[in-house]
Amino acid sequence: MNNHETNESLSRVLEGWRVEPKRDPGFRAGVWARIEVERRVPSWPGYVRTHVALAAGLMAVALVGGGWIGREQARARAGADRAAIAENYVRALDARTMRMP
Amino acid sequence: MKNILITLAMAVAACAVAFGVSYRMCCEQELHRAASEGDAMTWLRTEFHLNEAQFAAVKKLHSDYGMMCGEHCAAIMAAKKRNAPPAEILALEKTCVEAMTAHFKSVAGLMPPAEGERYLAVVMPRVDGYGHTGAPNVQMKP
Repeated sequence: MNNHETNESLSRVLEGWRVEPKRDPGFRAGVWARIEVERRVPSWPGYVRTHVALAAGLMAVALVGGGWIGREQARARAGADRAAIAENYVRALDARTMRMP
Repeated sequence: MKNILITLAMAVAACAVAFGVSYRMCCEQELHRAASEGDAMTWLRTEFHLNEAQFAAVKKLHSDYGMMCGEHCAAIMAAKKRNAPPAEILALEKTCVEAMTAHFKSVAGLMPPAEGERYLAVVMPRVDGYGHTGAPNVQMKP
């Protein structure tokens, strides 16, 4: 079988091939329904505008919570630093705790 | 659902920003630097709000005490080395504690009265509770 014969048989198959999809009467309505669903989901700013109290409350909690945790963390670190340096300071001046080189 | 997730993400971002700002504002950078570098003099200056004259006087007092402290240390070490009687070592240590206490009171006297009291409240409780075996990390800088 050479290339010429192959092409002819392929051409015959292609000539006889017909796509006959079943008619779907609900296709158009389905497309529009999906478009409508997407259209009804608001953008984020629109969502926030319609849920102002929730969004504002959430942001307030986040800001206050973050600020409080940050302050506590900073205080804890300062307390630890203060204790460590005071301890070293006193030890450095205590002849009983010194070691001669 | 997408909008809820975006809202939550914005809240988390706001929380992180608030944390960072608050931490930066409350963080005592100079204290932290002094602690990590073992810079006790900077700590004294900032913690007890010393002006330049007070700070210079405190530094001089520490410098002078440093020599006395070294002598006490040498005496205690020498006594321990020659296995001196415990009473003698205790007497030397008592001298050390008295000198140290006097030094701390002198330093407090150079500070504003309220700061001096606070200074004594910080350092004095740390004097008595030591074991006498040596300080592993003395990093105080003059």
